[in-house]
Amino acid sequence: MATPSVSAVYIHVVEDVISKVRDEFLSVGVGENVLNELQGLWEMKMIQCGAISGPIERSAAPKGNAGPITPVHDLNVPYEGTEEYETPTAEMLFPPTPLQTPMQTPLPGNIDQPLYHMPTPSGPSDYGSAQDARSNIDVKPGRPSPYMQPPSPWMNQRPLGVDVNVAYVEGREEVDRGTPHQPATQDFFLMSSGKRKRDDYAQQVQPGGYIPQQDGPGDSTSDYFQLQVNQAQSSDKNNRVLANGDLGSSQQHGAHNGYDDLFRLPGAANEEYNTPAEHGHHVATPNPVQNEAAEDEEPSLNEDDDDDDLDDIDQGDDEPDTHHLVLAQFDKVTRTKSRWKCTLKDGIMHINNKDVLFTKATGEFDF
Amino acid sequence: MCLTETLDEMVSNGTLSPEVAIQVLVQFDKSMTEALETQVKSKVSIKAHLHTYRFCDNVWTFILQDAIFKNEETQENVGSMKIVACDAKLLTQ
Repeated sequence: MATPSVSAVYIHVVEDVISKVRDEFLSVGVGENVLNELQGLWEMKMIQCGAISGPIERSAAPKGNAGPITPVHDLNVPYEGTEEYETPTAEMLFPPTPLQTPMQTPLPGNIDQPLYHMPTPSGPSDYGSAQDARSNIDVKPGRPSPYMQPPSPWMNQRPLGVDVNVAYVEGREEVDRGTPHQPATQDFFLMSSGKRKRDDYAQQVQPGGYIPQQDGPGDSTSDYFQLQVNQAQSSDKNNRVLANGDLGSSQQHGAHNGYDDLFRLPGAANEEYNTPAEHGHHVATPNPVQNEAAEDEEPSLNEDDDDDDLDDIDQGDDEPDTHHLVLAQFDKVTRTKSRWKCTLKDGIMHINNKDVLFTKATGEFDF
Repeated sequence: MCLTETLDEMVSNGTLSPEVAIQVLVQFDKSMTEALETQVKSKVSIKAHLHTYRFCDNVWTFILQDAIFKNEETQENVGSMKIVACDAKLLTQ
């Protein structure tokens, strides 16, 4: 069906392009003859493609489309588009985190705090007190900010993989769908942040051996302050569920960080800390083990599976890909369970060696 | 469309500067989109098994298997094929 209408459209496009590019050419100082040469070559190749319609040359045709269409829009549009589309993503992703973190805070927090109080009665009620609030603030720039940052790449990546649709669909039909997705992503964040935290601690602990020095930049003042800071940290930790319910390890962090100087336990603390941190908290805490297992599994699931799939397809379907191709713009892409629906517009199909142009296409796929 | 081939050729010949070639591609994009909007009025429906979906850089890629295309005139069956679609909203901006 390389119909006259299709080729008419092509010719129209060629002429349109040539005429509209003419000014550009002249302004750059490129002669009209070059323009004519361009048009001649282009049309010649078009005719070859259309006339011979061999698989190779045919496949060249859609590739030619693929070249300009995708990259060019990337050049032009995303500057505006990214702002529009990426900000909502961030907005969607961030608010949930604060929502959920406080939820889990009380559990570990309440259990942890009393333990810290035992040596130092100075710290009053943990969350309400102004001291803690202050020390929280003090600590945050030093400590947590490095922890806050690591999750962000995860946030940016995960949702793009998992939630992608939401960014687009959000404003449209699938607000519902966004919500079910979010818990999953949040879990990722929490777990990932938890892991980060642990890793960071491990890094800080191991090289120096003496934690107070490591903590120094963040907390360096008096021991009292350190204690408070440590409490704040632990509450911070709990707030962000960085400890993720591994009470044992978080206690160790606390004792370790805070009471080194006071109780002279650096060695023991180090050992105890390192063991759980490196070996996955097997002894102290069953929960983190699950978390780590989940962490380990899920990245690998996503990455490996995706890669494998893509690789397989890119390799396995290479031929069909080049033979049958649809290039279009999507209006929307929605998914219900495994059923995908998409509406495309203004596209070109190259199927069975025929070119088909369409203004609108609807697709229903089951995955 | 062979345009990129042509441009490649001319750029490597030295008859065209890459910048101008890009300009041509940009213009081609506009013209093609406009032509599709104004000169084509056909609808297609696709049913297929979705082998892979991918959404990267605002571009959807679907790899389909056992696809059935229907438009006003004909129906085409394709064993496996690929759809590449960029965002219509981004294009119109």
